[in-house]
Parts: sequence; structure tokens; C-alpha cells
Amino acid sequence: MRILIIEDEARIAKRLARMTKVYFEQQLTLTICDTLSKGMAFIEHTAIDVLLLDLNLNGENGFEVLETMVSRPFHTIIVSAYTDKAITAFSYGALDFVPKPFDEARLFQAFARLNAKSLKTDHLLKYLAIRKGNMIKMIETWNVNYIKGAGIYSELHVHDGNSELHDKSLDALEQLLPPDEFTRIHRSYIVNLKQIERLIVEPGGKYAVLLKPGLLLPVGRSRYKELRNKMI
Amino acid sequence: MQKWWIFLLAITLMSCRREISYEVTEAVVNRSDKAFSASVEIDIAEKKFSTPLGVRVHGFGAFTVYWDGYKIGQNGIPSLQGIAEVPGTEMSFYQVPDKLAGLGKHLVEVKGTQSYLPKVDRGLEAKPDSYLKLLRQPLIELSFVNLMAGAFLIAAIYYAFLYANSKLRQRTTLLFAVICFLFFALLAAEYLKFYIDIPYTHFYTRLTIIGWLTFTIAILIPLYFAIHFNLPYKMLFIGLLVFVLLGIYVLEYGHYDLTSQLYSLTFWIASVLILGYALIKKQRGSILVLICFGLSMLINQYVFYDFGLYIAFTLILLCILYLQTLGAKQLEEAHQASQLLSSRLQLELVKKNIQPHFLRNTLTSLIDWVEESPAQGVKFIQALSYEFDLLNEISDQSLIPIRQEISLCQQHLLIMQFRKELTYVWEEQGIEETELIPPAIIHTLLENGITHSIPKADGTIKFLLLFSQTETYKQYTFEVFAENRIRSERKGGNGFRYVEARLKESYGDNWQFSTAPFEGGWRTIIRINS
Repeated sequence: MRILIIEDEARIAKRLARMTKVYFEQQLTLTICDTLSKGMAFIEHTAIDVLLLDLNLNGENGFEVLETMVSRPFHTIIVSAYTDKAITAFSYGALDFVPKPFDEARLFQAFARLNAKSLKTDHLLKYLAIRKGNMIKMIETWNVNYIKGAGIYSELHVHDGNSELHDKSLDALEQLLPPDEFTRIHRSYIVNLKQIERLIVEPGGKYAVLLKPGLLLPVGRSRYKELRNKMI
Repeated sequence: MQKWWIFLLAITLMSCRREISYEVTEAVVNRSDKAFSASVEIDIAEKKFSTPLGVRVHGFGAFTVYWDGYKIGQNGIPSLQGIAEVPGTEMSFYQVPDKLAGLGKHLVEVKGTQSYLPKVDRGLEAKPDSYLKLLRQPLIELSFVNLMAGAFLIAAIYYAFLYANSKLRQRTTLLFAVICFLFFALLAAEYLKFYIDIPYTHFYTRLTIIGWLTFTIAILIPLYFAIHFNLPYKMLFIGLLVFVLLGIYVLEYGHYDLTSQLYSLTFWIASVLILGYALIKKQRGSILVLICFGLSMLINQYVFYDFGLYIAFTLILLCILYLQTLGAKQLEEAHQASQLLSSRLQLELVKKNIQPHFLRNTLTSLIDWVEESPAQGVKFIQALSYEFDLLNEISDQSLIPIRQEISLCQQHLLIMQFRKELTYVWEEQGIEETELIPPAIIHTLLENGITHSIPKADGTIKFLLLFSQTETYKQYTFEVFAENRIRSERKGGNGFRYVEARLKESYGDNWQFSTAPFEGGWRTIIRINS
């Protein structure tokens, strides 16, 4: 597990590092940056799995930073004193929001989410951040018809027929997307439940869903039952 | 107020009803040296009253008055064989005996001398009316005039006292007091004739006084508006006004009533111009005052009454009174706003250390210290509680000793040292222990310094507070020696707004605040002018 901590308060950074080491034990590569610019520079050239981010670092525009971070392949866990920003952080696509002051249990809870298939939370993801060159484009989740896995990336297919490439994998997105709005129907597909016209059982025991725009997507055999339950 | 208007209306109607109709010939005046005689023929056609008939005579001199050859009275004492004349008044009233007061033609003869002002020929005028009415009419007029004059005298005194006892000393307040007093004086001068026998020799003295009073009021009222509505090029405008008024004075010299009317018209136009400007600029109260000016013109035009002009004046003064109270209201609002600001600043100071993010970050470090090295944790808690104590002590003050401010800063550094595990160095130079400073402003700069600085390679950040003073100012220079973080929005940060608001609260506009990076850190300068 490759983890980056961006935290300017040395004492808190040390605390995070200590607890992270306890949780992940041996298989851990840990880096600490005490300024945001150092952290940004780091992720430009080094791949990581998880970012622990102190949001609203020194008054620089925290949400611009957040937008940038969530557009990346890794998961972002916010560790912040600005507890009133939690809902916004979730809506932007943070994996978790750990309010300060925190203890080991709360941080471990956040780490546990890394292995969970999907989130059980009241806070909903509302936007998906797409990185286009130096720009970040925010796509509202209701606007997404379905998502197709494309190797380590994902293709978001939106209402107007266009598609956008997201840096996160389909698995990572599945963890973030609200389970009562989106569901994984196939190794390569997540669909917006509202867009499903009907379920189709094809001859030979194959399953598919017909989406409203008239598109047919395959449904994995193992996922059919769950999908049927969700649609009822 | 309503009653007053009804009363006014009734009086106006009453005076409109003519109780006598007559014709008068023009006076035939014969002069020889200082002596003169004059005769006027009066033809009374109708008389609706049964009370005695009277006659009002206007003219200069000292004379005896005869009605159909019968002496009915005397005004002054005409000079007689070396005895000097005792001058009479310009206006005099006489009762006509009932037996001579019938309808038809009558002859009024006046015989006397005009030893003084021999070259002035005012002519002679005699008009019959109810004797009772002749005596009562001035009383009725005076009842109004005295009411107005009294009100303005009180207003003059009140505003003069207000000006004398006010800290702000607003020019408009004094100006209004002066205008009110002049207006009182004008009314008094105008109606003095009913109280005091003014010998005809001083008839023009009174008119001259009235002229100059009107002249002054005609300058001051537009000046008031110019100041109140903050007219650009005020003095140029007023200079032009004075020039026009002087022009009227020179051109119409000797025409007392006309001059006064022209003065009034001039200041009316000048005022309306200023009000028009105020209206365009959408200034408070300008519409109302403009309406009043329109109204005053109407009253002056259509109320053919001796004191129509004065009612118009009163209306204008009431407008100014309204503006004056509007100004007072604005002051009140400003005062409230400043009080509100003070309490807001106080709150902001208290909030400084209970800001959720400050507390949460501090508590996170604190927990860690307590878990990892409890003894240090206790020291941290003590430092924190001491800073709270200090903040508590200063929170309700607007100025505190500089030493207290420095203690607060040092205490804050102690806490931040625990949190950031950096070495913070505090240095000071030239601190004058007796100096006072608004609370937590250096503290705010320090906080900014901590947040926006990256320590030098050896893990230290140094802060330096420097005090210096000259004859004209005192200056605090606060320097942070560290690498500056990139700041997206340096100006207008909450911290700087707090500092500026505090400075304004204590020093008005007599301070300068500047903040900028320099090679090796950040420098902030607070200069307080003495």
C-alpha cells in the first residue's frame, strides 16, 4: 500500500504516520509532505493508492485542491478540522472524512473502506471529477448513464451521448458511487439504476439490461440476482 | 397642526370679506419749506359695521389730522415758532366721531411739518375702515408672527447649545442655529412697527435692517444645502450667489421691498438648483425639500398677505429642520454601527481561540502528546489554558499595554511549538512599556506568519517586533523571517480586516497599515500618527 500524507502540523502528521504503520504493518510505503505544493509535486511523478489530506490547508482554496485530488486514480481520505465541510467532501468524491481530533479506531474505520465494495454512508457522491489537461471538469452523477471499465481507467457515458475518461478504475468508482443509485452489473459495467428500461433474459441463460437510450449492456451471471432485487 | 391650518383658513376668509366700500382720491399735497398740508377726499358707499369708523394715515412728518374740518388727532408735534418738531410715525390711526361717519363724501386734511428728511416725499395716504379692525388686525397678524418667531428663537438657542455641547461640531448645526436666529430677527424687525413708535426719521433704518437680514439669509440657506448635500464647487457657487445678491443691492438701491423680494427669489432659485443636484444624486430628503420649495413658491404667489412670504420662509426652515433631524438620525446610526463594530471585534477576539479548526487541530496534537509523552502533554495544556486566560483578560478592552500583547504572542508561540514541532524565536526591539495597542493585532499578524511561512532549513521561524517613534508618528514593524508560502489571496484576509477594524476603532483614520514580502520573509508596518 502506497500512502501519502499531506499535513502541515508535524505532530498530527506523525500521529497519522504512526497509526497508518500500525494498520498496514509491513506492506506500506509512506510519504509525508508538510506543504500542499510538495504533495502536489509528489503525486505528479509517484503513483500512490491512498492520500490522507488535511483539507483547507493554510487557507489556500481547499476545494480546488480536493477537486484535483479526487480526479486522480487514488482514493482520498480527508483528515480535517473543518468538520462542517464533510458533506461537501463526500459529494466531491472523498472516500472518507476523518474529523479532527481523531483516534486510531476512526482512522482504521476509514482505512477499512478501502477494501469495502461499496460505501454505506448517508453522505452521497454528487460529482465525478474529470482531469482534462490542467483543467478539472465536474460531472454530476445523475448525468451519468453508465460507466464502462477501460483498463485502469473508466469511461463515463453521460446523457448527451458523450463519454469522458476518469482516472479511477471501475472498482474504485464502485466504492464511491451511492449503491442505491448505481450498481455494478458486469465486470466492465456500472449503470445508473434510473436509466434501466428493463431486464432482458436472452436465450442460453444470458442476461442484459436495456437502457433508456436503447442500449443493451450485458449483465454478469453472478450479479443478476442482486440487480433484480434492486429493481424491485 | 390641523387646527392651525383651519384657523389660518378662517382668518384668511374673514379678512377677504370687505366690510366697507369706498373711493379715495389721490392726496393733494402743498409744501412750503418744511410745512405742508394735504387733503384726501373719501367717498364712502357702503359700511357694514356699527362700531366706530377709523382712518389709517401713512405719511412722513408731524401733523394734525382733520375729518370734515374737525380735528380727530395728531401724529407727533409739528414744529412751531422755533420749537423743534417731534417726529411722528409713518403709520397712524384715528377714530372718526360717529356723527361725522355717515355715508357719502368726506374730506381728510392733514397739516403739519416735515423738518427732517425734507427731500423725501413719501406722499400721503388715508384709508377708512372699522376702527376696531384697524386696531385688531395687527394683533391677529402678530399672533402668527410671534408664534413663528418664538419657535425659531427656541430652535436657534437649541441648535446653538447642541453645537456647543457636541463633540462633532457639525457646521450645518451651527449654520442652522444662525439661520433660525436671523429669521427670528427678521420677523421681529418686520413687525416691530406694531410695538414701538418708530419716528419717521428712522423709517428707513428698519427697512435697511430687514434688507440686510434677508440678504444674509439668502446666502446662508443655499450654503446650508450646499454643505448638507455636499455640492461640488460649493464656495464658487456661493461666491456667485453673493455676487448676484450684491448686484441686486446696487441696481435696486432704495427700493426696499423689491430688493427683499429679489433676494428671496434669488436664494429660492439657488436652493432649487442645489436640491436638483441632490435629487439627481439620489440624496436622502432631497425630494421632500424640493416639494416644500415648490409649495413655498405657491404660497408666496397666491397668499396675498403681508406674511405670505414669511409662511413660505417658515416652510423652508421646517424643511431644513427635517434635514437636520435626518442628519441626527444618520449620526445615531453611525454611532450604533460603531458600537456594533466594537462588540463584533470583541466577539472576533474571543472567537480567535475557540475557532473550531484551531481547537480541533490543537486538541489533535494535544491528544497525541498526552498519549505519547504525558508530562509534555500537561505542559501543553497549561500553555493553552494560560493563553485563554490572557485572551479573557483583554477581550473587553479596546487598548491594552503592549507587554500584555507580547505575552499573548509568546504564549501562542508556545502552543504552536507543541503543535508544529518547530522552533519559534521571538525577538523585540525598542518596545516602550507604557505604550498601548489594540488587543490581539500583533497576535493576528503572528498567526498569519505561522500559517503562511515555511521554516528555514534549521526548522526555525523568527519573529521580530520593532517599535520606533518620531514627533509625528509611532510605528510597529513586525517581521517574519522564513520562506513565504504561495498565497492566492493575500489582501483582504480575515486577519488583516480584523487588524484594520481595530486600528480604525481606536485611531479613526490616523493610521497606516502596510504588509509585503521582503527578501527572507514578510514585513508588516503599522504606523499610528500622533
